[in-house]
Amino acid sequence: MQIKINNKSYDCNPDETILSVCKKNGIRVPTLCTHPDLLPSEGACRMCLVETNQAKCLVSSCTTKVCEGLEVITESEKTNKARTINLELLWADHAGKCAKCKRNGNCELQRLAKEFNIDEFRFVPRRGEPALPDEIDLIKDNWSHVVVDEENPSISRDSEYCIECRRCVKVCRDIQTVEAYGFNHRSSKSNVGTPYEKPLDCIFCGQCSMVCPTAAITEKDDTEKLEQALADPKKMVIAQTAPSTRFTFSEEFGQNPGTFWEKQLVATLKELGCDKVFDTVLGADLTIMEEANELIERIKKGGPFPMFTSCCPSWVLYIEKYYPEFIPNLSTCKSPQQMLSSLIKTYYAEKEKFDPENIVNLSIMPCTSKKYEAQRKEMDASGQKDTDIVLTVRELARLVRERKILPSYLKEKKYDPALGISTGAGVLFAASGGVMEAALRTAVERITGQELAKLDFEIVRGEAGIRCAGIDIDGLNLKVAVVHEIRNAKKILEEIKQGKSEYHFVEVMACPNGCIGGGGQPLPADQEIRNARIKGVLSRDKGMSLRKSHDNPVIKKLYKEFLEKPGSEKAEKLLHTKYTNRKK
Amino acid sequence: MQILTKNWDKIDPFHIDTYARSGGYEALRKVIREMTPESVVKEIKISGLQGRGGAGCPTALKWESAAKTKAQDKYFICNLDESEPGVYKDRTIAEKSPHQIIEGMIIGAYAIGAKKGFIYINGHYEKSAEILTVAIKQALEKEFLGKGIMGSSFDFEIEIFRGSGAYICGEETALINTIEGKRGEPRLKPPYPVNSGLFGKPTVVNNTETLVNIPFIISRGAKIFSGIGMKNSPGTKLFLLEGAVKSKGIFEAPLGTSVQELIYNSIYGGGLEEGKEFWFAQIGGASGRLMTAGNLDQLLVYGPAEYPLGCGSILVVDKSMDLKDFLVSWSGFFHRESCGKCVPCREGTFRLHEIAKRIRNNDLLPDDQERLEDILWTLGNTTFCPLGNFAATAWKDAIRIFGDKIFKAA
Repeated sequence: MQIKINNKSYDCNPDETILSVCKKNGIRVPTLCTHPDLLPSEGACRMCLVETNQAKCLVSSCTTKVCEGLEVITESEKTNKARTINLELLWADHAGKCAKCKRNGNCELQRLAKEFNIDEFRFVPRRGEPALPDEIDLIKDNWSHVVVDEENPSISRDSEYCIECRRCVKVCRDIQTVEAYGFNHRSSKSNVGTPYEKPLDCIFCGQCSMVCPTAAITEKDDTEKLEQALADPKKMVIAQTAPSTRFTFSEEFGQNPGTFWEKQLVATLKELGCDKVFDTVLGADLTIMEEANELIERIKKGGPFPMFTSCCPSWVLYIEKYYPEFIPNLSTCKSPQQMLSSLIKTYYAEKEKFDPENIVNLSIMPCTSKKYEAQRKEMDASGQKDTDIVLTVRELARLVRERKILPSYLKEKKYDPALGISTGAGVLFAASGGVMEAALRTAVERITGQELAKLDFEIVRGEAGIRCAGIDIDGLNLKVAVVHEIRNAKKILEEIKQGKSEYHFVEVMACPNGCIGGGGQPLPADQEIRNARIKGVLSRDKGMSLRKSHDNPVIKKLYKEFLEKPGSEKAEKLLHTKYTNRKK
Repeated sequence: MQILTKNWDKIDPFHIDTYARSGGYEALRKVIREMTPESVVKEIKISGLQGRGGAGCPTALKWESAAKTKAQDKYFICNLDESEPGVYKDRTIAEKSPHQIIEGMIIGAYAIGAKKGFIYINGHYEKSAEILTVAIKQALEKEFLGKGIMGSSFDFEIEIFRGSGAYICGEETALINTIEGKRGEPRLKPPYPVNSGLFGKPTVVNNTETLVNIPFIISRGAKIFSGIGMKNSPGTKLFLLEGAVKSKGIFEAPLGTSVQELIYNSIYGGGLEEGKEFWFAQIGGASGRLMTAGNLDQLLVYGPAEYPLGCGSILVVDKSMDLKDFLVSWSGFFHRESCGKCVPCREGTFRLHEIAKRIRNNDLLPDDQERLEDILWTLGNTTFCPLGNFAATAWKDAIRIFGDKIFKAA
């Protein structure tokens, strides 16, 4: 089928919207409520209005399907008028504090305001501080309902910035099935919020902050904590960087998605003043050693199956809150962040004779939920809080920009070798399917006692929300599944509950495509960008000389010098954890 | 001609027998005994009956689409969420002739193949809900409702659903959302409710006044009905006269009656109150247009018309009133009732009300006139559902007709 847009013909499918045809063909139509991950759109922002030959009035291109003989005009005096007025109305309902806003320079509303030359309030601002005394009366009348939610460790909410686009409501309801957000009140008082405006009660995945067009929902800012630690001469700040961060940090500084920036990341952290920089990938390798061991033990003992991975704190919290009956199925392994942190404060501190009390463990994560994980009561294997500060990629980048550091100009640096050697298997943790692939590389070799001829398990890679495979290991048909996004995990849980599936091992990541789509990653993100990041991950694994966790020399040394063997008493104490039923 | 009001004050709304004695449930008997669902739809089609909720969509069109959509479950909903300011016709029907509504619903359900129906009652209408609850119970006892209605294989039950008094929930998709337990907001159309409505099933939503026409059309025949009123807009309509008119209240008159006649004829309004001088009339509630003296000969019909009759209310305003009070009242109403989903309506109605208050207080800001024009334009042209247009209608007329009075500081 063909339609005409701005007097040129374009091919399209009959079930497409006008906006999607425009987007495919590089015709820009502004929108604030549509997000490529959250289709179909609800048509709330009225920015994408276009003129057509089918209707007298303007139609929203995000909700209007194409039809035979359709002719569309995307830019006209009328569309421009509509967009400008609606934007002016929104602008006056917005905080208007761009200069000190976290999203300054990367805000969809700001970008449109610039495009439509909205540089002053045409309507009396409903939010923000009154500038002149005689404005106070006007503003008092206009003051809209402002909710600031600071009662959780992961996510900041400030409704002053909210433009009620509802993307967060959608992502939480449709992708994560948690439904923490809804729409409260009505008319000009309507506001995105939690039920009864209670503090956010969710799994802290941060996907809401990934889709928010403004700074209404952002990561909780912990940069100040880091600055304090860096300024304290008694403290030794030891940084670790998550597998995915080396593929996404670069985006914050204008590089193409998927650009591998490991040494720049290390150099940046050193430049900031971190004393040591270790690699969470080593933690990932350690997780594999312990998790593969646990899987083999479960196979020997006959269950409980399936064994679920436990590296994703949002997934763990989801099980604890919504499906506590599956707690015995969760692997008892801590996440790579927590494993490495506890080793730094025990093994490394002992070895180097540092007082663990003076060590500040900083981790650079793709994830808002890691902030929550670090605060869990049981994460104190070293005798104190194992991980002290968790920064998302976005926070780190913000801090780096504030300090006027230019990562691309820094001399590249390597991880400190004590806990900084890693393998391709650990790097794979960055994307959905990676934990599974890394675990298989180790578990299969451990079970068969033979070296794998081919290391790539393509069968568990890909974009699909649920990917299943049967792996033949010496006659044992190991049934595995790889799942990302909670909506898909929920499907699997329900299937297992009904006895419809018989998996041995299931990897679950709460965020789309795993950690490279994490809630703390650079903005914007969509499927295309995430695919580019995945490409970077896979090619890095391929290019590494060490590609199996059990080949990692530091891991071997760790077990020899300190941990004895996977599943040992010491390993249990430092590297494993337990879970709590948090169902309400 | 009395179709809608013929039972009013003649029957006891709490006793089904009094309705039956005046010919009630005869139409249902005829439908069950003699007619197929298709022939019922055909009869309604011939009658030319149009929805009385405001938009005037042909009733048979909805029924036909719902009947044709294949589905195990279908729903039939009576819309009694009347919330246009100053309109109380549906409430009065429910209080004076509740079984006429129920009979219309059962016939409609039979025509489309629905087994379950809802009467969606405005949350403020306590008495209507009470009367209808009794009426449903009595209809069940008499086997007009329930399993195997009047010995046939047709089952139908009616549940009462109380709205919470939101204006937008009178819009059929918002209404459906709230029955599903969702927020009262209009849905994107298509799909239309007749194809995918309540819980995704084919659903017909008819206004209360529409439904009370059904027994008449079935018993007396579509031809007789279509002979009443206008050719393209047949039947009678309940008109509400209010304001400076001598006799206020609900009057049944054939469609196509002029506003002049409704206000001045002694069988209707009987002219203006003593000593009052006509200024303008607002046709169809707060969302209606303003009609000045020169246009009173306009005939009120459904279908394309310069002055849409909407729900049928005529507010007569005399020259002693202050237009500024009306502006604040209109904008206040729509500001309060906007659901908050789309930007132009959520923010626009707020700004409209803000400016209305400034107009009333004589403290207009510089450029307010320009702002106002932009707000009305965006309300009229860019909102998700028609509520935005409604909010702008009366204002646009007021500015066109009385612009000077509004913007000149008094």
